[in-house]
Amino acid sequence: MRILFLTWRDLAHPDAGGAEVYTEHVARRWVAAGHQVTLFAASVPSRPGEEVVDGYRVVRRGGRLSVYRAARRWYRASGQGQFDLVIDMVNTVPFTAHRWITDTPVIAFFHQTAEECWRFNAPLPVALVGRYLLEPRWIRSYRDRTVLVVSQSTADAVARFGVTNTVILPEGFEPVDVPKVGKEARPTVVWVGRLVPYKRPQDMVEAARLARLQIPDLQVWFMGGGPMLEDLRSSAPEGVEILGRVSEEEKASRLARAHVHVATSAREGWGLVVSEAAALGTSTIAYNAPGLKDSTIAADGQLCPPEPAALAAFLVASLPSLQAHPRAPIPYGGAHSWDEVACEMEDAVLAFLGRTDRAIGTPADATWRRAVVAAH
Amino acid sequence: MTTVSFIVPTFNSARTVTACVRSLRSQTHPDIEIVVVDNSSKDDTAARARAAGADLVIIAGPERCAQRNQGAARSRGQIVVFIDSDMVMEPALASQIASTLDSRPELGALIIPERSFGDGFWTKCRALEKSLYIGNESVEAARAFRREAFESIGGWNVNLTAAEDWDLDDRIRAIGVKVGRVGAHIWHDEGRLRLRGTFGKKRYYGQWIAAYLDAHDNGARRIRRSGLLDRKSELLRHPILTTGMVTLKSFEAAGIYAGMRDARSGRLAVLPGAHA
Repeated sequence: MRILFLTWRDLAHPDAGGAEVYTEHVARRWVAAGHQVTLFAASVPSRPGEEVVDGYRVVRRGGRLSVYRAARRWYRASGQGQFDLVIDMVNTVPFTAHRWITDTPVIAFFHQTAEECWRFNAPLPVALVGRYLLEPRWIRSYRDRTVLVVSQSTADAVARFGVTNTVILPEGFEPVDVPKVGKEARPTVVWVGRLVPYKRPQDMVEAARLARLQIPDLQVWFMGGGPMLEDLRSSAPEGVEILGRVSEEEKASRLARAHVHVATSAREGWGLVVSEAAALGTSTIAYNAPGLKDSTIAADGQLCPPEPAALAAFLVASLPSLQAHPRAPIPYGGAHSWDEVACEMEDAVLAFLGRTDRAIGTPADATWRRAVVAAH
Repeated sequence: MTTVSFIVPTFNSARTVTACVRSLRSQTHPDIEIVVVDNSSKDDTAARARAAGADLVIIAGPERCAQRNQGAARSRGQIVVFIDSDMVMEPALASQIASTLDSRPELGALIIPERSFGDGFWTKCRALEKSLYIGNESVEAARAFRREAFESIGGWNVNLTAAEDWDLDDRIRAIGVKVGRVGAHIWHDEGRLRLRGTFGKKRYYGQWIAAYLDAHDNGARRIRRSGLLDRKSELLRHPILTTGMVTLKSFEAAGIYAGMRDARSGRLAVLPGAHA
């Protein structure tokens, strides 16, 4: 099959994140199975407008905001009739490809919706317009379309805007080597992420202060850099260590040595660090936030109300048993192998096209069960 | 080991049921049972409850008191605890309930303190309001019961759909059962509160408030909420939230009043959206 992905960034983009990793893993495996894959993405300084990466073709045109118009222009000039399927990767701003591609079937893919993240990422007037006017209109334009998502949370989020024909795909995870380290002697909490407001690191600091009233030797490690680093460092109470950015080895080692991993983000697409902690034998207590709850449930962690007092109570109640009986590492941290993801996504698009000619076989360690979400 | 049975009535509760049931599943107490009683939801509440680890999911109705009684009848614990589907329990709750009732035989029921969380301004006002009720026995009602105490009063009053928690609390105290309390909290997920929504909901529940007041001599003390003004320093510390809370309570009072009038005039309001 000849497949075109429309996406705002490719993996070469300096701000590429989890969504781009997902696309790249799938594209690489699809090409290996015999498909022809093209990625259309925004330009990246110092990278060519067209190149072949790991067997798939990357076409780069336009910038942060103009990539959407550039996609349309490029498709009219050189895309018509060249593909059997177009996958519209929606990252807040959509390509709405189904409106201007009429010669080829188009399926959309949502990693996550933005919603409250507007507040943290844009000045107030833009955030209000974005959250309450633009994004609802954008999402609603996919009503009556088949939409692929990576979590129940995203399925629920788009359903609120009338997009109910969703297929949930598994989230992928690259296995990690479990470092040969034991658990810490002191009760230890680890928090990983960029120190930005929407990840709410200050909630963890406040919960640590409250929990230490009952567990005086509790220690908390923060790993990750970001604009709040200096503020947090200067105000951190006793027992709280703000480590800043650390190497991958140190991150894995500390994740494995801690008794519990805490995640306090307001929203995630999936919350990959939860899977990582679980793969290293560390259980998670997470705020019950979209996306974060999906990875936490998959990793058999605990969901906590998004309040520091609740988090402190969860820590105080859970730490003794987590210290006494550390969890065994969970394969793929509750997520799935990328081979399985590539296979499931191929299956989903073939079903959408009404075809059955699979090029990728189900991996031996597959555990995913596809669920088509009921409308509500 | 004392078995603690949690009974959770649900109706179109897909948004909250997973967090609720999972918080019960990850209680530190080793012997708990989770019974979800779904009132034929139109969404996938029952499937989500099963996936989250409920031991038993049964379908029953027509209202939440009947659901709770059915759930209690199908459960096996020596202690029954009634939970709403939009609540999240702290992990130590079940063990505190079991150890309190095991060590204090004079107690037959327990109050569990509640706090609120959710999005937006009105939810923060509600959280302030709930924080003022902690320890206020005219507002709080027992949720955890020794099975024999619960069964001796015939369970929940199926003729009430609002104030049924006070009704049960009043009746169990009336037969001489002592009510204690635990320290672990229940966290109530208010979602995003809206004034119009809260008016409609209270109007719906207001229909049964009249019936409750008729049945209980001291019922009015429950409704009046004079306790809200007991902690003035707490209110002065949050002037904006206090103003919001007064507004919220005014809308709710107006809703309840409208509902009581509906009931007296024989008109029955319909609940907007989901309940239970």
